Amino acid sequence: MMGIGDPFSRIWLDGPYAASVDAILADQPPWWLGGPAIGLVVVGLFAATDQRLGFLGGYSEIVERVAARSLRFGWKAWFVFGVVGGALVFHVLSGGAGSFEGYGWLTRRFDDATAAAVLFGAGALIGYGAKTAGGCTSGNGRGCAYSHSLSASPSGSSSRGRG
Amino acid sequence: MSDPDAIRRMLLLEEAYFFLVFVGAMAVGFGGVHALRALRLRTWVRTRAERRHVAGAALFGAGWSLSTSCPGPIAAQLGQGVIWSLATIAGITLGIVVYAAAQRRAAVPEVPLFEPR
Repeated sequence: MMGIGDPFSRIWLDGPYAASVDAILADQPPWWLGGPAIGLVVVGLFAATDQRLGFLGGYSEIVERVAARSLRFGWKAWFVFGVVGGALVFHVLSGGAGSFEGYGWLTRRFDDATAAAVLFGAGALIGYGAKTAGGCTSGNGRGCAYSHSLSASPSGSSSRGRG
Repeated sequence: MSDPDAIRRMLLLEEAYFFLVFVGAMAVGFGGVHALRALRLRTWVRTRAERRHVAGAALFGAGWSLSTSCPGPIAAQLGQGVIWSLATIAGITLGIVVYAAAQRRAAVPEVPLFEPR
C-alpha cells in the first residue's frame, strides 16, 4: 500500500485517531467481512424495497435521465454516486491507500493512448454485454443471490425490468 | 478492489481473495433472500436461461478481462481520482446507448429500453 501519510491529503486529519484510522484503512478487509457485507446490502434492499441490487442499472439510469435532459435521479443512480463519493472519502481519509500508478497491464504493455482506447472498447463491451444479459457482475442472480459468476444467471432480471 | 492488477490476478486464478468475497456475498445473499421467501415476505419469478444471457455474459466477460475492472470498481476508481476510469465509463455509456438503440429498432416489447421507475 502506497501513499499512506501522504502529506497533501492528510494535512487536515491528524491527532490521536490518525494512526488507528490508518491501520483500519490500509488493509483490504478480510473476505469474510467484505463478502457478507455485500450480501447483507442485497438482502436489505430486497427486504425493504423488493428491488435487486445491480450496478449497471445505475449507469443506465444516469444515461437515461441525462438523455432526457433531467437530473431527477432514482436510487440506482444515487447508488453509483454513493460509490464514487465513498471512494473519494476513502481516498482522502486513507491518504491514498490502494492507489496505483498507471492502469495495470494495459499501461505496462501499451502507450497511454492505446490503453485508453482499449478501456473505451472494453467499457462498450461491458455496457452492451451487461444490458444484453440483464445485469453486470453485481446484478446477477436473485435465485442464486448475488452471483459474481462469469456467466449471467437466468434470474429474469430484464423481464422484471431490473439489472 | 478497484486495482486493475488485483482483478487481473483473480481472472488469472492467481489470487483467491475476490472469489472468497463472492462466496461470502452469495452465501449471505442466498440465505437472506430464501429466508425472506420462506417467511413469505418476498418472492420472485423464476425464468429460464436464454441465449441473450450467455451472449451478454460473454461480451461482458471480454470487457471485464480487457479492462480488468467492472462497473462497481470503475465508479470507485473515479472517486479515487483514477482518470483512466473516464475512458471506461465513456465506453460503458456507448454500450448502453447502442443497446438501447438496437432495442428500439427491434422493438421487442418485453425488454424495456430502460428500466421503468
